[in-house]
Amino acid sequence: MANYGMALDYKNCINCSACETACKEENGILMGADKHRIWVGVGEIEGQYPLLDITSNAFHPSQCQQCENAPCEEVCPTHATYYDDNGIVRVDPDKCILCSYCMNACPYDARYVDDRTMTVDKCNFCSDTRLARGETTTACQTTCPTKVRTFGDLDDPESEISILLRTREHYSLKTHLGTKPKLFYLT
Amino acid sequence: MEVAISRRKFLQGTVAMSVIGATVATNLLSDEHDKSSKNGKNIFKNSQTGSQRAQEVATLCEMCVNKCAALARVESGAITKLNPNPKFPKSKNMLCARGNAGIQSVYDPDRLKYPMIRIGEKGEGKFKRVTWDEAYEAILNGTDKFPGLSKILKEEEDNRSSMLFCAGEGMAEHTFKQFYQAFGSSNWLNHSSICLQTVASGYGVTIGAYPQADLDNAEYIIMAGANRAEAIVTPDTMDAFKRTKGRGAKLICIDPRFTNTAAKADKWLAIKPGTDLAFVLALTYVTLTENLFNTSYVEQYFNGFEEYKNSVLSNNYTPEWAEPITGIKAKEIYAIAREFAAHAPKAVYYPGRRSTFASNDFQLRRAMAIFQSLHGGIDVKGGLIFGSKLPIKEHEGLAPLYEKAQARAITKSTVKKGDAGYDDCAVVSDGGSWISWRNRYIEDKMPYKVRGMFCYKHNPMMNMPNTAKTAQMLKKMELVVTIDTMPSDTVMYADVVLPECTYLERTDPVTTFGGVEPSIAVRNKVIEPMYETKPVIEILKGLTTKISKPLFEISKQFDSDIQDSIESDGEEDTYAEFNLTLPFLHTQEELNHHAVSMYIGAAEQLDRDGVFYPNMDVYYKALSVNEHQYYPENKKSYTVNGGKPKTPSGKVECVLASFTQKGIDSMPVWKDAYEFKVPAGKFKLLTGRHAQFTQSGTANNAMLRDLMPENFVWINKRIAQEKGIKFADIVEISSSIGKTRLKAYPTEKIAPDQVFFVHGFGGESEALTWAYKNGGNDNAVIEDHIEPVYGAATMHETNVEIRKV
Repeated sequence: MANYGMALDYKNCINCSACETACKEENGILMGADKHRIWVGVGEIEGQYPLLDITSNAFHPSQCQQCENAPCEEVCPTHATYYDDNGIVRVDPDKCILCSYCMNACPYDARYVDDRTMTVDKCNFCSDTRLARGETTTACQTTCPTKVRTFGDLDDPESEISILLRTREHYSLKTHLGTKPKLFYLT
Repeated sequence: MEVAISRRKFLQGTVAMSVIGATVATNLLSDEHDKSSKNGKNIFKNSQTGSQRAQEVATLCEMCVNKCAALARVESGAITKLNPNPKFPKSKNMLCARGNAGIQSVYDPDRLKYPMIRIGEKGEGKFKRVTWDEAYEAILNGTDKFPGLSKILKEEEDNRSSMLFCAGEGMAEHTFKQFYQAFGSSNWLNHSSICLQTVASGYGVTIGAYPQADLDNAEYIIMAGANRAEAIVTPDTMDAFKRTKGRGAKLICIDPRFTNTAAKADKWLAIKPGTDLAFVLALTYVTLTENLFNTSYVEQYFNGFEEYKNSVLSNNYTPEWAEPITGIKAKEIYAIAREFAAHAPKAVYYPGRRSTFASNDFQLRRAMAIFQSLHGGIDVKGGLIFGSKLPIKEHEGLAPLYEKAQARAITKSTVKKGDAGYDDCAVVSDGGSWISWRNRYIEDKMPYKVRGMFCYKHNPMMNMPNTAKTAQMLKKMELVVTIDTMPSDTVMYADVVLPECTYLERTDPVTTFGGVEPSIAVRNKVIEPMYETKPVIEILKGLTTKISKPLFEISKQFDSDIQDSIESDGEEDTYAEFNLTLPFLHTQEELNHHAVSMYIGAAEQLDRDGVFYPNMDVYYKALSVNEHQYYPENKKSYTVNGGKPKTPSGKVECVLASFTQKGIDSMPVWKDAYEFKVPAGKFKLLTGRHAQFTQSGTANNAMLRDLMPENFVWINKRIAQEKGIKFADIVEISSSIGKTRLKAYPTEKIAPDQVFFVHGFGGESEALTWAYKNGGNDNAVIEDHIEPVYGAATMHETNVEIRKV
C-alpha cells in the first residue's frame, strides 16, 4: 500500500527519448510512433531565423498524470480502468472493450490503443514489471541521463519525492479541471 | 504556465509513418525462418520483462563511443532489458535511447550469422555460407573469384604493406590492431581523420593534451559547434543540462542551427558556418585589449604570448571586424568575453568532440585552447581538466620487422602532388588520412601495389565523403575481408565476411577511463554468441592459426633477414618472432585479469560489478536514487599538474614555428578564404548527429527507427515556401559529386542559405531491411575536401542544390 507519484525536474530534459525507449523495452510496448506510454512535448519554435524565441522550443516530458480524480476512470463503462492499491490508475485488459471513451476523456492525451492486447493502454508506473518485482524505481526514472524524474510514495513523508515537493516549488497540469494529478513539475 | 503535452504534436515532430511492409525481404543473408518474420509483425515482438528477479550482468554499452556502464537483465538466456549501472563515474547512472535499444542489435534478424564468401560480382552482395575453416582458407588461398593472401604476397614479394588494415572506434580495435602489427603492414587507417583528429591534435600541440571539461563545476560555458543535448558525451551531457537556464551554469550556444542544445542554453547565437575562428579571435582581442586575462598564469605558462598578442592586435581582430564575418553582433562578443573573464577560471570554452567541419578547424582549436589558457582555466576545477588515469598492465604484442614491407603508401611532402605516394597534408598521423589515401589509391598514385584490405567494425562506404569514390576503391581491391556484426554497405563489397558477435556477446579488453573521477571498467559477456558468430579475438586466433605458417614460408623466400636468422638461430627460433598467433593465445578474460592484477580484488570486482577503482568500497555512495558519489570532493582529480600545460615545454604554445615550413600558419590567423560564401540559388550543406542514432552503425535498429523513422532535410521555412516545398515532400539534394533524396522539414531553425540533415541514413545494402534506401545519405553529396594539416575530411564545405521531385 502506497500512494505513488512522480516529480519531474523538467528543465533538465534534453528530449533524448531515453525514457521512451526504456519504457518500451521494459514494458513491451508496441512499436509505432503513436504507441508510447510516455513522451516529450516540444513547443514549436517561434520567430524568424536568427531571431528565435529560445524559450518557445521547450521540452516537456509527459505521461499519464495518475490523477486522483481520473476522468478516464470515471467514464469507463466496464470498469476496466481502475485505481489499484498503490493509487495507480491501471487498466484491466480483460474488461476493456476499446470504446475509447477514456481516450476522449483524458485531458492529457495519455492513452493509446495497444493493438496486441486490444486495450486502451497507458503508463502504470511499471506496475506489471519493476514494481511487481519489488523494485522501487520506474524504467524512465532510472535511465534518464539528466535525471528528470523522481518516483516515490507521496504518503511517506520521508520519501525523496515528499521531501522534494516540500522543498521545491512545483505545479501540476490543468489543475483547474479538478483531476488532481500526481505528477508534479518542479520549477 | 501553458505546457505542450500533446501526443499529436509529438507525432508531427517525428513524422509518423508505418514501418511495416514498406520494404521487401530480399535479404540473402538471413536464413529462412528469419525471412518469414520479416514481412509480418513478428519482427516487432517486444515483450515486457518478467516478474521475477533475474540474472544481471555488468557490461559496457557499444551503441556509440561513450562506453556507458549497463546492467543486462537476462531471463532464460535472453536479454530482456538493459539498465544503467550506477557504479561507473563516467556514465553516472544513465543509459540513453541507443543504450536501451542495444538489445535490438543482438536480436536483429538481419545480423551477420555465418562466415560467407563472395560468389557474385563485387558489390553485388551475393554470398554463400561457409564454415569458419573454409572462410580462412579462402582468405589464404582465394577462390575462382578473388586471390588469397598467399598469391598476393608471393606476387608482391612479401611486401606486407600490400594489405591495408582499417578499423572503426571501439574497445576491441586494440585487438585488431595487434593483428595489423603482427602482419607487418604499414598501411593503417582508422576513424580519426573523419572524426576528431583536428580537435584532439589542436589541443594536443597547444596545451599538451586533449582535455576534458569540468561541466559539473563550470559557471560559464561557451558551447560552439558542439551539440551535447543531441550528440551525447558522458559525463558532459548529464553535467551540463542540470544547471542551465539560470541554475548555476550559464550556457552560451553558438551554432548555425537551433539545436536541442540551443533550446537548453541561456543564449543562442547563430553563427555563419566555418567562422568560429573569427569569433574566438575577436574574443581574444577583447581579452587582450581590456586586460581580462590572468597575468600570472600567462607569465608562468605561456610561450610566444607577445607574438600572438601582436598578431591579434595588429590584425585588428575586433568584435566589429568579426560581426560581418560571423553574423554575431559585436556587442555580444564584448559581453561574452567580459562574462567569461568574470567567471574564470570556472569558465569553459568547450573543446567539443566531432569531425572536422571547415578547413581552418586545426587553427580554430588552437585559438580556443589559447583563449581558455589566457584565463588560467587549465587543469583546474570548473575549467578544462587533464584528470588522472589508473594504470593497467599492457600485455605483449608482436611487431616483427619484415625486410620487404614498404613504408606507408604515402611519402613526405617532398613528393609533388600528382606523383605516386603524394601527400596532401602537413602531418601524417597514426590513423592516417582516409580520404587522401583512398583518392590516391583510385588515381593509381600508390608507390607500390596495395591489393587487399582487412576492415574491422568500419564502414567506409557510409562514413566518409564521396561514396562513389569509396565504392570505386572497394571494387579495385582484389581481396576485401570484413569483420562486422551487420551486413553494412561495405560488407556488400567483401570477398570474405567474418561475422563478429555483438558487444553483448563478448568480453572486450578491460579499459581505464581517465578524468576527474578515474576508474577501470570492462565489457563482460552477457550471453553466449548466437549463430556462428565469434568475438574478434577468437576470429583472429582462428585466422592466424591458418595463415601464419604459410605466410612465413613466403617470407622465407624473399626476406634475407629471415634467411640469415634461420641460418644462425634455426627455423624454430626465427619463426617464434613471426608467429602471428602469439597475440591471440590467451582468452580475453585471462588478458583482462592480468591487466588489473596489480589491484587486489579488482579482477573479481570487474567480473561482478563491471567497474573498479581503489577505495571504491569507501568512496562510492548512493546519495539519492538519482545521484551517486564516486569520489569525495577532496579526492577528485581536478588539478593534477598544478595548472601546468602538458606540452614538452610545460607551456601553452602560441607559436608553432616548425609548422611554417610545412605551409601551415604558426599562429591562428584569419584568412579571407575562410569566409562563408554560398553562390546564389545554392545552400551550404551541414551535417551532424542526434541522440537516437550513431552514424550508420545503428541504422537498422528497429527500436531506434521507431523513434526516428528516417532523416529529414531541414530547410528554412520561408525558402521552402518560395520553392513550394512542404513538410514531408521528397526533395533531391545534389552537389558536384552526387545526389540523394529525402523528405523536407521546413523550419525556422536554420538559415535561408543552409540545409541540414543527419548522417547515417540512406544506406544501399539490401541486406539491411530497415536501413536500405531509408532517408538520404550525406556522404553521397559531401565533396571530398581535405583539411590541410592532418588530411581530415571537411564536412561543411559543400554547396548543394535542392529541388522538389
